Amino acid sequence: MIEQFADGALMAFRLDTLVMIVIGLFSGMLVGALPGFTTLMAMAILLPLSFFLDPLVGIPFLLGVYKGGIFGGSIPAILVSMPGTGAAVATSIDGYKLTQKGESRKALDIALFSSVIGDTFSDIFTILLIFPIALLVMQFGPPELFAVLLMSLVIIVSTSGTNPLKGLVMMLFGLWLAQIGTDPIGGVERFTFGIFELKSGIPLLPMLIGVFALPELVYAVMRSQRAQEFAKLVGDRLSKAEFKRCIPTIRRSTILGTAIGIVPGLGQVVAAMMGYSAAKNASSHPETFGEGEIEGVAAAEAANNAVNGPTLVPLLTLGIPGDNVTAILLGAFVAQGLRPGPQLFEEQGTIVFAILVAMVMANLMFIIIGYLSIPFFARIVTIKTGLLVPIVIMFAFAGAYVFRSDTTDILMLVGFGLFGLLARAARFDVMPMVMGFILGGPLEYAFGQTVAMAGSTPFEFLFTERLGMVAVLIATPIVGYLLWRRMKSATA
Amino acid sequence: MHCSHFSSPGIADRGLLRDRHGGKIAGGPTVKHIKYITAETWLAAGLALLGILGLVFLAQLVAEPKVLFGRSLTAIPPTLFPSLVLGAMAVLAVALLYSLRGTLLAEHSKTFEDGALPRVVMLFAVMLFYALTMAPFGFFISSALSMATIAWIAGNRSILQIIAVSVICPIGLYLVSTRGLAVSLPELSSIEFFYARIFDLFESAPEVSQ
Repeated sequence: MIEQFADGALMAFRLDTLVMIVIGLFSGMLVGALPGFTTLMAMAILLPLSFFLDPLVGIPFLLGVYKGGIFGGSIPAILVSMPGTGAAVATSIDGYKLTQKGESRKALDIALFSSVIGDTFSDIFTILLIFPIALLVMQFGPPELFAVLLMSLVIIVSTSGTNPLKGLVMMLFGLWLAQIGTDPIGGVERFTFGIFELKSGIPLLPMLIGVFALPELVYAVMRSQRAQEFAKLVGDRLSKAEFKRCIPTIRRSTILGTAIGIVPGLGQVVAAMMGYSAAKNASSHPETFGEGEIEGVAAAEAANNAVNGPTLVPLLTLGIPGDNVTAILLGAFVAQGLRPGPQLFEEQGTIVFAILVAMVMANLMFIIIGYLSIPFFARIVTIKTGLLVPIVIMFAFAGAYVFRSDTTDILMLVGFGLFGLLARAARFDVMPMVMGFILGGPLEYAFGQTVAMAGSTPFEFLFTERLGMVAVLIATPIVGYLLWRRMKSATA
Repeated sequence: MHCSHFSSPGIADRGLLRDRHGGKIAGGPTVKHIKYITAETWLAAGLALLGILGLVFLAQLVAEPKVLFGRSLTAIPPTLFPSLVLGAMAVLAVALLYSLRGTLLAEHSKTFEDGALPRVVMLFAVMLFYALTMAPFGFFISSALSMATIAWIAGNRSILQIIAVSVICPIGLYLVSTRGLAVSLPELSSIEFFYARIFDLFESAPEVSQ
């Protein structure tokens, strides 16, 4: 595996990869900087573009969009107190206060530096962590895989939305949607209602763009009627002394964010809030937090960016996307013929390591691009939604069409968009549904193989020599506790 | 009476004359209370219904397993996993409806801000139009018409900007996709011919000068 890593590191140094990372970072920052436009939406819409590029160009491009978008979201959060992403809410607490004090330039500088530092260290940790986990999961058979997939789905449900019962129902709906088409074991047709286009199942791309991007666009249109504040970039740049003062905070938030990133379902919002709270609690002057404290911005940004790398650990080793952004990345990997899971490192280890090295390179380029382009993106904040929404919708429709050149996919896109909007209106999180849909196929296959292997002695089979069952026995009380706590807080 | 979005009058109180505590009013002025089914209820009930109907009609919705010499070719029945998923969905969705029993109907169930619903409906109508017309009208015409309407719905009132966006962007994206990325988008042959002629002009220009 070390040999694969060395080969991968050499492969990553390609001009086209570097160019597409820069384009990705720029696109991500551009979309993130627009209030109402999210990183998730940018990734969903740009996902089809990556299908037509080499894996070592297309996937680093999307990773660039991801990284750029997360930082881009902090620009409107700091300048006009309008977080471009959920992860930037914690940034806006002190960031906007700094703008009001005439120190917006300083706030954006510390946001950039802490983002890049948090991200880089978490990426290096990801590469180191992937080795032992990949070696372990290579020993997995169908029962272990089934147990781990099921457990991941329950963890995602227990950490998403406000009501875990809603999450469970949505996850099961996603599992049912994944069954439409052909049975993966017996090859028999099911739930197609005689519609020819459904025989090959529901394509992932229209679902991803539909449930994630279209509702965001509808809400962006609704918000467009509100008056927008004018964004101003003023004040001095960040000094060395101020940066040094923030180092302990950045270090703490990076560790927190990295740990949160490994757990499926928690994501950047939780990390940013926890990083901010931890910094406030550890500070000798907590009263300054919320009043324009530069460490508050550093804490939130380092924590939310440190999540980026570790979310790839469960994705690449087990094929389990930890959040909605990694669900989109999974779509990119699958379309490139790289099926994340236990076999990925055996079959395509070199390419995967090349992608991970490209991810670290993206951080180094990010600091230069970000530093130079902050004044430009500060102006972007005030671009009219009425100009951008139609362009983004056109990209969404063209993107949904090009993968299979089938107009049914565009109709599915509109259908999923409508469902996503209804789910949002009803306060149902669509994330468990997407996860159920993505993991439904592998879960059913592992289930079928496990049942076939168990034969007539299922209990004997379950409780002897199965590694995964041990994991389930350990994890069940933890997941049960998480669900019980969420149910309790939902009914309170 | 308040009208709500994604809601409709509930049958429980429809047409009944009751006071604010739900009692019938004798003699005095009558007050008509109408409650609305919330979006939450609609979705939970829809998913419960899907689970129940799926289970009931499972035998019709899942094909019979393939058989060779009288023996099934699959190790497990093809209805096993779907029945587990649909059964769990039906039970949990009913449990969800039960847990929401206090909020199934609401006096006000505002989902969007005032005046936003017509715009949401219009936006989806335009998107549906876009999806249905992309193949017969071609990418350029369907995109230009839809983008102009969406820009208007999104609040853009600059005719120049609307025309620029809805004409230049579809042409640009079409040419980048088909010429740059070698992927196809549906287009009328006359418009495709027009693009080809423009490209021919550029390509033949140096020859003319020679």
